[in-house]
Amino acid sequence: MSRNEPVGPRQLRAVPNDGYADWEAVYQDNATWVYRTLFARVGNRADAEDLTAEVFLAALRPLRLTASVGEVRAYLRATARTVLAAHWRETLGREITAIEDIEQPPESEEAISDAPQRVAEVLDTLPDNYRRILELRFLESNSIKESAAELGISVANAKVLQHRALRLAAQINDANDGGQL
Amino acid sequence: MNARGLRKYVDDLLRGRRPKAFQPDDFEAAQIRTAIELRAARPGDDAPRPEFLNDLHARLAEQMAAAPPEVARVSKWNTTRRQVVVGTSAAAAAAVTAVSVDRLVLGGQAEAPAASGQLTPNDGRWMRVAASSDVPDGVMHPFDLGSVNGFVRRVNGKPEAVSGVCTHQGCRLWFDASDDRLNCPCHTTSFAPSGQVLTHQLPIAPKPLPKLMVREVNGAIEVFAPASPVEPA
Repeated sequence: MSRNEPVGPRQLRAVPNDGYADWEAVYQDNATWVYRTLFARVGNRADAEDLTAEVFLAALRPLRLTASVGEVRAYLRATARTVLAAHWRETLGREITAIEDIEQPPESEEAISDAPQRVAEVLDTLPDNYRRILELRFLESNSIKESAAELGISVANAKVLQHRALRLAAQINDANDGGQL
Repeated sequence: MNARGLRKYVDDLLRGRRPKAFQPDDFEAAQIRTAIELRAARPGDDAPRPEFLNDLHARLAEQMAAAPPEVARVSKWNTTRRQVVVGTSAAAAAAVTAVSVDRLVLGGQAEAPAASGQLTPNDGRWMRVAASSDVPDGVMHPFDLGSVNGFVRRVNGKPEAVSGVCTHQGCRLWFDASDDRLNCPCHTTSFAPSGQVLTHQLPIAPKPLPKLMVREVNGAIEVFAPASPVEPA
């Protein structure tokens, strides 16, 4: 019966201001990490912009503003996951990249992208000329002509080198994942 | 195999253009993924353009100001087939997300959220809500004490009471006896007689109903509730 008796006076506490004031606050606070999360998984601005727009156009209206910041972010990441999966189904007919379930908060660097670490691991294991061509082309934005000049080879050879380097990098990347694809 | 499709896709990624759709095989898909990661690892190149953020802000403002939720909102753009498909899948995305949140709530005993706790007012007294005989087994008996309203019922002979106010926006619940649930008139949220959420259509599940302290003495069921509010003289 003790459980069913009134208790003594309780401490009065202020409610933490943990939510968002309005949809604009939700957008301002989350647009950048949502965009970066998608960019890391499509690799180009046009698709990243379209998918980011899709996430917010779908997510904001049904959003309940009394939800905490953490709940809103988890909901946005879940929406981005569905939007990205639909994008791959419609364009390449298979899932190329995904937004995983993770422990870290969605706005953290680890959650946004692990591409830099994964790329560093793969590049480390490649032969020098393979690594150099991928760095020149993908990381340093050089044209094929500039890359060929840098490496002292012909443009035709640079093309073949890039092609082979990407094939080998994909095999290593795939093996690092336990052959998921 | 589609060597040309792959070459074009990688080339478009490198030139910062939107890549074109094709049907890659397993190994081509792995190469695309690696190319995307390489491209995305380019330092300091993944910040959104301010023009894009401003433009999307304007589109969202337009959407949020417009009335019906299900109207397609691709107005400002040229409506190509892709964008129509995209609009549809976005609506589906929202629906899927809502469903998965809903499943969390309905996913069985272990996953059910804890009750919102017991309402124990700081300054209250035991107030009669029904005669014992008014609350036989299987009956949901409503009461209204002014400061608190709710429903009392018997569980294994002992009285239990829950709040009669929806935990979403405070609308007053009504008991649907044929369905054995408390329904909210505002957003069709429904609660079990025990206060657990059964169904809702909100992005995040509302909390279960608070329980009220209840006892049975001298042939009457009483709820511990605050006395009616005292107005300043």
